[in-house]
Amino acid sequence: MKLSRRTLLAGAATIGLVSSASMALAQSAADIAVEAAKQFAGTELTVFYEAGLQPLDPINFSGPLWEELTGIKINIVEAPLDQMFTKIIQETKAATGAYDILNVIPNQMPDLALAGALEPLDDYIERYGYADEIAGIGDVYRNNQMTVEGVTYGLADDGDVLLMYYRKDIFEDPEMQSGFKAEFGYDLAPPADWQQFNDIAGYITKTMGPDVYGAGMHFQPGNFQYLFQERFRVEGGTFFDADTMRATVNSEVGLKVFNDILADIEHMPPGVEQWGFIEMLNAFMDGQTAMTISWPPVGRWTAGYGSDTEALSWLPETTVGGDVGYALPPGGTPELAIGFSLSVSSASENKEAAYLFAQWMNSEEISLQRVQLPFAMRDPFRASHYADPEYRSRWDGADEYLDALQAGSVSGLLDLSLIQTDRYEEALRQAIGRLWAKEDPQTILDDLASQWDDLTDRIGVDDQRRVYADWASKPNAYPN
Amino acid sequence: MSRLFEFRFIILAPAIFFILLIGLYPFVNLLITSFQNITMFADDTSYSGFIHYERLFQDGRFWGAVMRTLLFTLVALPIQIALGLGMAFLFLNKMPFKQVLIAIILLPTVISPIVAGSTWRLMFDNRFGPINQILGWITGTDVELLWTVNLDLVWPAILVADVWQWTPFMFLLLLTALSGVDEEQLEAASIDGASKFRIFRLIILPAIMPVMAVAILIRGLDLVRLFDIVWTMTQGGPGTHTETISVYAYQVAFREFDVSYSAAFALIIIVVLTILVLGFLRLVEVER
Repeated sequence: MKLSRRTLLAGAATIGLVSSASMALAQSAADIAVEAAKQFAGTELTVFYEAGLQPLDPINFSGPLWEELTGIKINIVEAPLDQMFTKIIQETKAATGAYDILNVIPNQMPDLALAGALEPLDDYIERYGYADEIAGIGDVYRNNQMTVEGVTYGLADDGDVLLMYYRKDIFEDPEMQSGFKAEFGYDLAPPADWQQFNDIAGYITKTMGPDVYGAGMHFQPGNFQYLFQERFRVEGGTFFDADTMRATVNSEVGLKVFNDILADIEHMPPGVEQWGFIEMLNAFMDGQTAMTISWPPVGRWTAGYGSDTEALSWLPETTVGGDVGYALPPGGTPELAIGFSLSVSSASENKEAAYLFAQWMNSEEISLQRVQLPFAMRDPFRASHYADPEYRSRWDGADEYLDALQAGSVSGLLDLSLIQTDRYEEALRQAIGRLWAKEDPQTILDDLASQWDDLTDRIGVDDQRRVYADWASKPNAYPN
Repeated sequence: MSRLFEFRFIILAPAIFFILLIGLYPFVNLLITSFQNITMFADDTSYSGFIHYERLFQDGRFWGAVMRTLLFTLVALPIQIALGLGMAFLFLNKMPFKQVLIAIILLPTVISPIVAGSTWRLMFDNRFGPINQILGWITGTDVELLWTVNLDLVWPAILVADVWQWTPFMFLLLLTALSGVDEEQLEAASIDGASKFRIFRLIILPAIMPVMAVAILIRGLDLVRLFDIVWTMTQGGPGTHTETISVYAYQVAFREFDVSYSAAFALIIIVVLTILVLGFLRLVEVER
């Protein structure tokens, strides 16, 4: 066949168009963000972060890399977790443009959106072709931690979930196994429900205490409120009557959970009521407790991952590395406690550049590197993170760890999210503090319900009912 | 208007202007805000009447915070005065390294209250803190006291921290005042056979009273706005058991952003404190 010159040119042009189109299609969200951001070279962006280890990611890794790629400098402003909401609202009221990118706790996103603190992101997502990569974010995070009433205000960026960590050397010890089975009639294994948790914790404490206690957890109210929210729902509790919006936290289930927690504490080290994250971590890494329930970094650090990193030099040396097992907590529906989404501040003077940085950080390519930074606290949240061969071989048991995280991301329970959630949480924190102070559980719960009702009345029953109904209708609000 | 008056007015005007700017303007703004309804979500600046004041008077948590703050002040202040005075008497006499010892004693006062509170929280920690350990050595048993959790222990723990930090302040002021007492009067009274208590009551106390009154006023106001130590040690918990006026005000204003309600809250506190201060000043006759 003989090709005419015109046919040849047309063919060449077609090939050229197709190849450039496929190149554009093949360009990753990270590359698109970098290319687009170059027009803002020379500007500076300020990212608002939780104080502590979290900002080491943009300080040591993503910030310098982004500046190298785009010429945009990244500055960091930090605040303690419990002050982040306050700082963001203050900035919104002042509208100084002090922050460009915000780390937002997802259950506070409705409040922040309502207060006008967050910039809608849907247009940016479409303009910069990010929808495909967003689809790779775990369902529970993508569906519940990014939007408010259909508008996207954040990019889910942290796979927080409260996993159970246990000492395999104790659970797999033949003597412990036979002794436990003889006493309780079932195998010693990670507890499937809270009664088993109590049995196992009690048996280990009785057998190995006081050197090793059955369990130890972070009971400081700020941390424990998430464990309460989870356990209350696992035991069948609901927070409100959906019709009247009266609080039902003081139900029989609430009382049972409070009493059961007090019974569990009997099998834990003295003074555990005072423990925060660090005390819990220290005790578990030191081998003083056989079970704990906490955020994902505990699983990495107790295995010894990143122990040679300068930023983690404060961690005690783990004595249980290689012996740590990972499981879902009793009930199998872990709390998706806290987590972070990346949002753009409505007061930012560099909204587009801010969005592009958020897209770049959150992209498949960059987020995979970020969740493996040993010193940072971002936890896997994409299907590709859980499946990544490199991550799965980071330490002995990393594959089990990632499988447990992925399972948790499917069945995990959402933090309660209402209008002015922080006020409801504050009342819950106070109730937990009173429980540790040995006040009467029923009185505490009745007071808590009364406080919640007062708040609901003040905020508006109809408004709150609408928001609660929306939250409660989500698949991960209550166990299925 | 005389020239002299005009000159004085011109000289004083900038100072008066700045005082009004930084003092009166916020007060007026506070007053106006307290009659509006500004919250986290609504900037409703229309007149809302006395709704926040009504709510305040029905707010059990507010009155609880007021009572706790006043009680703590009534307990902590006399302890700090008594200890400060006792230490000041000790340091009246000549002793080796007196200046060095005074400097060491004053160290807690120069530490930030946030740091002091955090330190004492660790001191009282059951796992890492030395307090329980020391008590264990003394009693010969394992002491597992949860100082910041147990209802009976949490206020004493805060009291210890506050007394530790602020007694040296009392000590310094009272030492200065005692150093100024007329020695000849003391000697004369002693020669005349007056008892030590009578000398203290009739000579020393009146002599140091002006300084002591100022010290009481400063510390009293500090205690009424007690925040840092409580926040770092308990955050007002367990429950609201250690919630002081300032801690509750912080919660309302900066965590709940109930702006107008917190303005009413602040205004009531300002009015009450002003009345108390004026009453106190009148009582000790130092206002003149």
